[in-house]
Amino acid sequence: MAKHAPAGKSPATWGVVTVLLTVAIMGTLWVPIYARYEPKLGPFPFFYWYQLFWVPVSAVLCWISYLLLRRKPRTRGVVPR
Amino acid sequence: MSHFNAVSFVIVIGSFLIVTYIGFASARWRPAEDPMQLNEWGLGGRGFGTFVSWFLLGGDIYTAYTFIAVPALVYVSGAVGFYALSYTIMVFPIVFIFGPRLWSVARARGYVSPGDFVRGRHGSQGLGLAVAVTGILATMPYIALQLVGIEAVLTTMGIGSATGNTFVRDLPLITAFAVVAVYTYLAGLRAPALIAFVKDTLIYVTVIVAIIYIPGKLGGWEHIFSVSTAHLNSVNPATGKPYGSIVVMPAGEWAFATLALGSALALFVYPHAVTGVFAAKRRDVIRRNAAMLPAYSLMLGLIALFGYMARATPAVNAEVHANGGNPQLSVPLLFEHMFPSWFAGIGYSAIIIGALVPAAVMSIAAANLFTRTIYKELIRPNATAAQETRVARLASLLMKVGALGFALALNKTFSINLQLLGGIWILQTFPAVVIGLYTRWFHRIALICGWAVGMAYGTVVAYRTPGGGQAHFGASTVPVLGHVTYTAIIAVALNIAVSALLTVIFRQVGLQDGYDETRRADYTADPVTAPAAPTRTRTPAGPPTRPTAGTDRVPGGPTAPAHTYRAP
Repeated sequence: MAKHAPAGKSPATWGVVTVLLTVAIMGTLWVPIYARYEPKLGPFPFFYWYQLFWVPVSAVLCWISYLLLRRKPRTRGVVPR
Repeated sequence: MSHFNAVSFVIVIGSFLIVTYIGFASARWRPAEDPMQLNEWGLGGRGFGTFVSWFLLGGDIYTAYTFIAVPALVYVSGAVGFYALSYTIMVFPIVFIFGPRLWSVARARGYVSPGDFVRGRHGSQGLGLAVAVTGILATMPYIALQLVGIEAVLTTMGIGSATGNTFVRDLPLITAFAVVAVYTYLAGLRAPALIAFVKDTLIYVTVIVAIIYIPGKLGGWEHIFSVSTAHLNSVNPATGKPYGSIVVMPAGEWAFATLALGSALALFVYPHAVTGVFAAKRRDVIRRNAAMLPAYSLMLGLIALFGYMARATPAVNAEVHANGGNPQLSVPLLFEHMFPSWFAGIGYSAIIIGALVPAAVMSIAAANLFTRTIYKELIRPNATAAQETRVARLASLLMKVGALGFALALNKTFSINLQLLGGIWILQTFPAVVIGLYTRWFHRIALICGWAVGMAYGTVVAYRTPGGGQAHFGASTVPVLGHVTYTAIIAVALNIAVSALLTVIFRQVGLQDGYDETRRADYTADPVTAPAAPTRTRTPAGPPTRPTAGTDRVPGGPTAPAHTYRAP
């Protein structure tokens, strides 16, 4: 992916983003991680609370990736925020 | 059967009227310089920022059918229904990776649908046509299923089931759909974008209240899980096996994972999702939303748990049984029995309006596909922007009429089977669209052959799979090499293999490849509509402030798009 990288981002940044997003996807793609009953969280079997917990985790991983890849505006004032 | 409740009914009618008003008013929201550009009607002027896109994409891809069918699957079969949560978790990293490139090239070249991107990238009308036809075929039953979702609510409300006359019975459904069709015709993508605010608010309110209020009334989560486990472990007389399991069994893990992955990849290439992505204002909007849209996945996870709540409610089980064992009624019935009638009305409205937003976006997406890839390419190559827009509006009406016909004339099972097929079909456009974003190594004719093989294989296998009491289209998974696998994944693997093999052969033979009209910089382009927010201010004199992307499409031309670029 790095060779298609937009200008200004180092291969290292792309490497980190690739790892983060791979973790986000594998967290629910690799079913044996969470296809189990224990440990329960209150009344919830692991299978359920793990998946619900992975939702914010994947969101945070995407957000970090976004911050890493964000382009700094070249001209002040052209790009909001 | 369920009894008619005046309070619920008034709430539902009230919300429908509010939404109808918003739908018509949206035609005047952020008025365009030239409303007869296809990217105005069909993509809301490509002007939606992070906030609006969040509501639009959320309201678009979490459809009413999902809210009905996912808990219904959990209600009957348990853990396997949670593949939907797994897939909506996975889809956003996928959008994060592929979305910005697709958005950039569409913005730079004025593409409004995956069909015209594929045509331009691979220089192949045939491949563009294949993608467009697949998209339309897969979308039509998906719209019909939104109607099935509405029907489940209406049945629960006791509307339209008392008479045997088909027309009278379906009148509420026809009316609702006709109204949506009219304001979509007038306002285009602006209508569902605004209505999505109402939809999403209603859904969030309903889900949060339900998840706090209902478990206490049912005796707590411990009780809900134990009743559900008892049901899932009991033996289904039809199959002689247990109904399901509370946790995915080792034997079911591969099916679960491939279903989730296949559905996530398919969702990204569904025309309505692509339309939502194309409507974004800036490249950044897509990545930000990939991080913020999972809020909806959390909702979906909680909605899936409604299936267990319904199972733990004896009155729901009794009524589902009385209705021929139709599990799709489980969530509306849960609302009916657990909530006071006014709040049940809110819940019903959430599902009904939840059906209207995706139905509108889907019909617009299909109309964009038809207009650019079929009408403009094959019927009238010299069509002006205004003609394109008129044709797209009519096409959106036709899509709705077709879907209504589907839902009313054909057996409901038929729509569901077709939607199952639709998921398999749409994934066959993945190589041309998504792999095409990165490489042109594949030969255009090889891609067409691969697509044809994937479509044929997927259709035949789905047809020949029995299950659930049906001889055909019984399940979306089949055993391959000892692993039960989602048919779409096998079909797309075959598709890619055939494409690769034929590419090698065609290159050896020296078969001519198509002309790629896109440039490398297009894929990372981020046109800035300087100065900020030109859409709100109208300057009576002077040049248009917003670039109209629909006009800068120069097929085959080396001209750089007429935008200012932040980074080349």
